[in-house]
Amino acid sequence: MSREPSFDELVGEAQGAERERLQRAHELLLRAGPPPELPPRLASAAPLAPFRRRRRRALTRGAALLLAAALAVAVAFAAGYAVGNERSPGSAAKPAAILTLRGTRLAPHARATLELWPARAGNWPMTLSVVGLPKLPAHAAYEVYLVRDGRPWAPCGTFVTAGSGPLTVTLNAPYRLRRGDSWVVTRPQAGREPGGTVLRPASA
Amino acid sequence: MRSDGEMEIALESPRARAAPAGGAAPPPDPSDAELLARVGARDEAAFELLYRRYVRPVFGLALRRLADRSLAEDAVQEVFAAIWRSASTYRPERGEAGGWLYVVARNAIVDRRRRDRHPADVVLPELVSPEAGPAERAEQSYDAWRVHRALEELHPREREVIELAYWSSMSQSEVAAYLGLPLGTVKTRTRAALAHLAAALAGEAA
Repeated sequence: MSREPSFDELVGEAQGAERERLQRAHELLLRAGPPPELPPRLASAAPLAPFRRRRRRALTRGAALLLAAALAVAVAFAAGYAVGNERSPGSAAKPAAILTLRGTRLAPHARATLELWPARAGNWPMTLSVVGLPKLPAHAAYEVYLVRDGRPWAPCGTFVTAGSGPLTVTLNAPYRLRRGDSWVVTRPQAGREPGGTVLRPASA
Repeated sequence: MRSDGEMEIALESPRARAAPAGGAAPPPDPSDAELLARVGARDEAAFELLYRRYVRPVFGLALRRLADRSLAEDAVQEVFAAIWRSASTYRPERGEAGGWLYVVARNAIVDRRRRDRHPADVVLPELVSPEAGPAERAEQSYDAWRVHRALEELHPREREVIELAYWSSMSQSEVAAYLGLPLGTVKTRTRAALAHLAAALAGEAA
């Protein structure tokens, strides 16, 4: 255990405002503790290589880049339109939480990620990215439910799919969330197909 | 670039201000805000410099949050990837660059921590804000970030005497003996280092 250095020994006869400034730095040093030793992998260089590779690859695929850009704009527009002004995450915004969902026996190949964005005025915007959910009959829709105490507690929106391909939709949970809250996706009974939960938290 | 003049004053490098032992003064180091602007324009040299300045504070923050050296190393990579991606969104008028970088780093590290837990367990408003815990802990975390960042600004000779004095249990006499320097030199250097640190931490000229 390091002994605490003597401030008086370190600064000698510093007086007045200068002494106060040095004292503040001294206290912050004690409070902060030593900086960590860097492991070799971090000490060597900035992790630029992956970025360079990504950029080169992008440059050699001009058409793919244009397509990706168009897709990104479309997705951003759709998400922004759906969410309105409730949030503006930008590229620096981070989800408040991320929930991984897996398919039940009703949709064993389905999986999804539910991103919960910071709340605004009591609304928790959510982005559901799902794959593997089949198209439902006309007039039927998947429903997203907030689960509390083990039971579907409140609806958070509906969506349909065009097939089993990837899909991202924006939803909202206008509720006061609690510890232990979670979400599931259900489908209604339609024709001979039974209704029930098709996606539930992966850790459930 | 002086559109963010206040920021540049706040983050001016003590090393850049210090009179060199001989020869012409080196050009002043770019401020963190300037580096972020350049990184936003995909300037790899600026990214490298920003990395050098912040890798240790980021690693320290990750270690405190994750309590696992291997996870912390991975988190550092993710933090700098996030900085690379989002640097163009930084706006100097909204706050100092160091604070912005701290938030980006903290968010990336928290994301990392969430991914290593059971996802369903983290869908909790209480856990949404990593600073929702004791205010004291949050403040200490940010103080450590600032101090470790400021230490990177010191001349290596100054940083050395600070590290020996504060974290190696050495008295000034012992530091002098260890470095083979006169005691007066060690005292002068230590006080100068503290003054530079104080200036960097207070965002003011020395």
